[in-house]
This record gives sequence, C-alpha cells and structure tokens, in this order.
Amino acid sequence: MSEQYDVIVIGAGNGGLVAAASAAKLGQKTLLLERHNLPGGAATSFVRGRFEFEPSLHELASYGPAEHPGGVRELFDWLNLDVKLDPVPDAYRIINTGKDGFDVSMPTGIPAFIQKLNAEAPGNQDAINQFFALATESTTVFQALFSDPTKLTPELLAEKYPNFVKYGHKPYQTVLNEIGLTPKAQEILMAYWCYIGIPGDEFEFAYFAAMVVSYVALAAYVPQHRSHEISSALVKSLQDNGGTAWFNTEVTQLIVQDHAVVGVKTAHQTLYAKQVIADLHPNTVYSHLLQPDQVPQSELKKANARKLGTSGFLVYLGMNQSAEQLGIHDYSTFIAHTWDSRKQYQNMQQLNDNGFMIMNCLNIAEPNCSPKGTSILYATQLFDDPSWNHVTPEDYPRLKDQLTEHIIATYEAATGIKIRHAIEEIEVATPATFARYLRGPQGEIYGYYGQPWDQMMARALSLKSEDEPIPNLHFCGGTGFLMDGYSSAYQSGYMAAKLTTSKLNQEATVK
Amino acid sequence: MTNPLTTLLNERQAHFEAGATTPLPTHYPVNDLAAQLHPETQYLRITNVVDHGADAKSFYFAPATDMGTQHLAYFKAGQYLSVRFNIGQSQVTRAYALRSTPKDALDDCYILTIKLVPKGFVTPYIFAHWQVGTVIASSGPLGQLTYNQFRDQPHVLGIAGGSGITPFLALAGALVDGTENFDLTILYGSRRHDNILLGDELTALADQSPHIKVVNVLSDEDYPGYEHGFITRDLMQQYADLQHTSIFVCGPNALNAYVTEQVAPLHLPGGRLREELSGQVPVPETDVKIPATVTITVQIQDTQQTVTANTREPLLVALERAGIVVPAACRSGECGWCRARVISGQVNTPRTVDHRRAADRKFGYIHLCAAFPESDMTIEVPVHDLADQFG
Repeated sequence: MSEQYDVIVIGAGNGGLVAAASAAKLGQKTLLLERHNLPGGAATSFVRGRFEFEPSLHELASYGPAEHPGGVRELFDWLNLDVKLDPVPDAYRIINTGKDGFDVSMPTGIPAFIQKLNAEAPGNQDAINQFFALATESTTVFQALFSDPTKLTPELLAEKYPNFVKYGHKPYQTVLNEIGLTPKAQEILMAYWCYIGIPGDEFEFAYFAAMVVSYVALAAYVPQHRSHEISSALVKSLQDNGGTAWFNTEVTQLIVQDHAVVGVKTAHQTLYAKQVIADLHPNTVYSHLLQPDQVPQSELKKANARKLGTSGFLVYLGMNQSAEQLGIHDYSTFIAHTWDSRKQYQNMQQLNDNGFMIMNCLNIAEPNCSPKGTSILYATQLFDDPSWNHVTPEDYPRLKDQLTEHIIATYEAATGIKIRHAIEEIEVATPATFARYLRGPQGEIYGYYGQPWDQMMARALSLKSEDEPIPNLHFCGGTGFLMDGYSSAYQSGYMAAKLTTSKLNQEATVK
Repeated sequence: MTNPLTTLLNERQAHFEAGATTPLPTHYPVNDLAAQLHPETQYLRITNVVDHGADAKSFYFAPATDMGTQHLAYFKAGQYLSVRFNIGQSQVTRAYALRSTPKDALDDCYILTIKLVPKGFVTPYIFAHWQVGTVIASSGPLGQLTYNQFRDQPHVLGIAGGSGITPFLALAGALVDGTENFDLTILYGSRRHDNILLGDELTALADQSPHIKVVNVLSDEDYPGYEHGFITRDLMQQYADLQHTSIFVCGPNALNAYVTEQVAPLHLPGGRLREELSGQVPVPETDVKIPATVTITVQIQDTQQTVTANTREPLLVALERAGIVVPAACRSGECGWCRARVISGQVNTPRTVDHRRAADRKFGYIHLCAAFPESDMTIEVPVHDLADQFG
C-alpha cells in the first residue's frame, strides 16, 4: 500500500478548508477533495446580473480589530490569507411585532450596549451589570475552550473558574431569570440564539453569553468580496504550502484496512493517506462512505442519539436603489411576532407562520459591495424537521413565492421601509438548495442540534476522547466541537489539523 | 460537591449508550426533493420527431428509465437544458431552451426545438443522428429567463429572434395552463411570413389565453398583417408601456445588442431588461497583438496534458477539441460551471461577458467559455470525477 498523502481532507467547507490549509502549513502533504466546483460550501457567493450575493455569512465572530485580534484573525494571519474584512458598525436592531412590541437598535462596544439596554429596559441596571460580569468570565473560558479544549478537563475548569462551573452549563434563560432581568431585557438579549439554533431555555449560558460579548466587544466582520474571498484565499494558502485541491471530485468510499481508515475512493481514483479528515456530516460518512459492518456500534448509537440541525430559507435581493434611498440604516434586523425563543423554535417546524426572520443589508457594512445606486439585502428564516418533508417539485416554486411574499410583507410592516418596488434581482435558497450544494442530511446547515448534553462544553471537553472514532479518521466542520457557524467551523478545522499532525508526529517518533 | 461538567459528560455518554442501533437513513425527504429538482444528469429517450420545414425539428423526450432517470425534473418556464454530445474526438455541451411546459415535465415529457445551423458543429450532428429511440444525456434545468412576481412587472414584453422563440413557447404554455400568471406580449422576429418557426404553435397558445399576444415582425418582406423591419424602440412602445414593462430577450447576440441599444435612452430602472445569454458564444476583444495559436498545459487532478488553442476561440473549445470533458453549461460566461484556475500565462475575459465572482478575478480564476488565451498557459481544470452519492 502506497501512502500518497499524509492527509486527505474530504469536503472544502469552512472546516475542511482550514483543516487542509493548516495541515499543509504544518508540513503535511495534503490533498483536499471537494464534490462541488467551488470551495467553501455555504461560504461562497453567486452572481445575478450586476450583483454578487453573500449566501450565508451574517457576522464573522472572533475576528476583531488588528490591534486586538480574535482567534479567527490570528488563524487567518498564520495562514497568510490575502483577505480584507470590515467591521459591522452596529450590533443589531431587534423588533417585536407582537403585543407589547418594541423596536430597539443595539450598538457595539460594551459600555454603549449596556447604556442602551438600560435605557430601553429600565430597572435592570444591577442585573445587566451582573450579566456582563458573568458573560465576561464565560468569554475567558470560552476562549480557552476555543483555542485548545484538549488542554482542559472538568477538574481544571472547576479549580480555575469555580463560579463558571456552577452556571456555565445552565440554560441561558435560567441564568437571565436568576439574575432578575426583566422580560424585555431578556428578549433584547435573546437575538443571537438563532445563529446556533438552540432556544434560550436550552442553550447553555457559557456559549450564548460569550457570543454576545464577542459580537458586542470585538464587533462582527464581513469580507469585502463575500465569503468566496475567504474560501478562495484558503485554497491559495493550501496551494502555497504545497497542498493540492481537486474540485468536482466526489469521495464515494473510505478505504478501511485492519479496522483503520487508509484512504478514499472517488468515482475514478483510489487514493491512500495516513490520515483522513472529513468535513462531512458524520451521518453521511456512516451511511454512504462506509459499509454497515465498518461502522463501530458505538458510533452508530451516537449518530442515532443525536438530532439533525436546522436548515434555512433565504431570500437574496439585488435592489436598484441604494440603502440610503430605501431608508435602510441597519445591517441586521431581527423581526418576530414573539421573542419567546421556544415558540420561535417550534414555529420553525411548520411551513406557515414561521414568524421569525432576519434581514441583512450588506451595504451597511460593505458600502461598495454593489454598484453605486444599488444595494444588497438578504432575509433569513430557519426551518426544522418536518416542515419541508412533504414538499413536491410541483409545490416548490409556489412555496418559494409564498414564503418570499411573507418575508417581504413582514419586513415592510415591521420597519415601515418599502422595498418591493426596487427589486432588480432575486434568488431564493431553501433547505433543498442546501441539500443540493452542501449535501447534508435534510439540508441541515447547523450540523447536529444542540441537545443539552450535545452543546459546546460537552463537545469541547470530549474533543480528544471522541477524535478518531475509527483509527485515522477525524471530523471537522459544522458538526464539530464549537457547533455551527463560520468561526466555529474554521477553528474545528484547525483543531482537526493539529490532532492529525500530532498523531503523525507521534508515529514518526515511534518509527 | 460533584462537578456539574463531569455530570454533563456522563450524561452525554449515557445518551450515546442509549442510542438506537438501527441503520442510519440513506435517504432523506429534503435531499430527495433536491435530487428530483436538480439531477446531475438526465438520460432522455427520443419518443417523437416533428419536422418544421427543412431546417428545424422538434424532439420529444421521455425519461430513459433503463439508464436510471425515472422522471424528468420539473422546471420554471424559460429554463434550458445543457445537452452533452460526443462528436468525433470532442466532448461538448450545448444549451437548448425547453419549449414544452413545466406541466408537460410532470407528465414526463420535454420538447426541444432545434434549428439547423448548416456549417455548425453540433446541429448537423443532431439532424443526422437523433431519431426515435436515441438516448441523450443532459443537465437538469438551468437558467434565469423565468418570470418572477417580485422582480418582474405584470406585463412582460418578450423579444425573440429565430430559435430564440423556444423559451417563450414554454412561458406562453405555462400561462395557458395557469402555472404562471402575467401578461405576455411577444415581438417575434422572422425573415418571411412563411418560415416562422413554431408560428402555428404560438398562435394556438395565444388563442387560448387573453394574457398572450403575439406580434410577428418580418425582416425580409412587407406582408399584410405583419410588422416589418427591425424591432425598434418605437415598435416596442407601440405594444407596451415600457416604463411599466419587463423586457425579456432571447435570440442571436446581434438582437440582444440591438434591443439594449434601443432601450438605453429610456433609462429604465435596473433589471427591466433581461437577456438569455445561454448559447451566445463570446467573441474576443481585438485590440491585442497575439499569436494565432498557443499551447495550453492542462492539469487535471494528478495528470497533465498539452493542447493547442486558437486565440480567437474560447479556451473551452480548445479543450473540448482535445477530448477533455470540461464541465460547462451556459457557454456564455454566466453560469460558472467551467470555472478553472490559471497557474501561468496571459488570458483575457471580455468585459461584456465577465460574470465572474470578484474574488475569482482577484485569485486568478476564469470561466473557460468566456476566456481567450493570449500566450502559452498552464491551467487547472476540475473535470468531473463524480458518482451520484445520493442518487
């Protein structure tokens, strides 16, 4: 058996791209295989008329300014990526269109954010200060887990952060209740739950609070030329470090010898490698790339115990007027008729009355993202099983129009901003679109749903013990230890490359 | 006190251990929907051939079930298929608009109407080889010349030349059967009144719907009951209030260019003029002194070969001539299927057909169908190495 490669990475999503680029940077002979003709998975772009649309990224977390870099910026710098990103000016605008509704725009910067929250939800001063104290401590721990969870154990965390260990895994909403935040303050602080897709009564405090602090303190960033710029830069980094990427190449099978993975098959090639990193949903690997008897019983049980993540519905609008002409000032506007996140989550399981949406205007963060006098909007809704299960091809175009109509009407009614008359280009992505391009089961975009025992802390503290479910096979991407999202997937790819490299180095020492 | 994080990890293990041992699903409803809507390949068997005079034929297709295509993919009226051919040494694709309706597709019928280009490469092959029983391979439905209620005006002015009428047949058919809902006026350019491709079929559709109006415009004769001359702005204004109309154009490059020039003085809001580019072969810009032929080193996975390219033709054609199976669909610069990486050498993408992503320009990627070599080059081409994992 000839080992042609040190590392083969399957799938050029965010996790796979960073895994491949990092492995090459760490000196491994690396081959990246991607089924689609583009890198990035959801981190790509598409052109309609004179617009180039961002398909999926809302806000890149953990990037931060050059003088105070977050983990993702440090990773990009280490990989020498030729990319330019700009900060999103404000945190978010949140609108509750239901009874006791509100419409609040939250700034970035922790002091400004606290001040605004106090003004909008009076009588919360002590509770808000307490929230940020706990959240800041969570962020410290989160950063440690983010950069290398294999160095941490429950015992070490209990010793160093006794307070954190008590509340870190409690549901976010429970902690907000315990510190006595009023319902309105809680609703305003609930906006980001949808980025991970776990409602607030189940979402562990440590991650949610760290996410709030990260976006508010470090700000969110977006690339100048859509996510495709980052994905392309990662391919270039891989190539500059001697690695190779093959597109339009589908892995059909993992080669297993003596119970260990030793390579992959494509439709036309057999390729051997010392280590394989899969930026694929584990369910896909176990159901499509391995024979049933090659899947360890423990992995089958694990996959069956987990729940698929949420999918999305997006409407992309190229407008023939500028954001200014349209009267749009906000980058992200979160709109719902209730801010009870459990209700929002339940409504995602049906096709009608989803009731929750986000509208982004890219020009607010990237004024030159479209020609002068135009702008780019995109609306996002989340959908979960079983909402799309009975849609037929014949229903499909009508359903897209029906949901689009609802989104446009909701946005116009909630904001008073009229957009319908200025639509020059429109495209829609549905769960079927994500299934088509990303190939995740049920078109999931969030990997596995975060059941209480399957969220960031449990996954991060299990990263090492759950690595290599079959010898030489590693996973990364949206199902990874930091759950879904761009920065999480990037970091999961980096960790996969590190674990792989340390294994290869150990083997080299033994030999 | 027990450490809550230790409890959490134990809980995680307990859930894993309690997991079912039933096999994981190999099919999911949403993935199956995606596969039905967007098949990688459709195998189509010709069931009927209808002649339209000497130089045009309609081909009726059913799924070639024995080849694995159980049903034809549904589509939006106005879309096209990229049909794959193996002619001599060459592997090529051509885009043809579906002229049958989406509803016909639900009954497993597609129709393509193809006009013979006597000195062309592909259509003489079709006319010589395609007959009842022939099986061909195509893409799933593609393309953007479709009606969208949010983007387009309630009145659409369709402007067609020659075989560019085919997507309008599908749009008109979809209006008749209620799949689409808008008003369609078609200005249809032909040479003479007695050689209007699909003229009778179009008239029959217009007779069934108050939403369809057909205006034949003859270039080569002045004949009673027909418009005569070019499809000018004045003629368009005669049939449509252009301030409140979406204009869809499908025809030869010259027609697109002419219509664009005619409506330019009206300064219509962006998006009102939509052109189907598929099938329109880009032409090179002429202001550079370059050799007639150059040598292209083509990297495909871990192999390498060299081909000779004519600098007046898109790189895609040179590769196809050499028998390389290049992924391609629209062949007009737009769809991006033939995206490839430039490793070295000079190449030009004419501005009018440059639909590349900004980062692709930055990092040296081209669309082979709209890229003209100007020196010897090395490029990396992602030829398909696919099996349909979910098929």
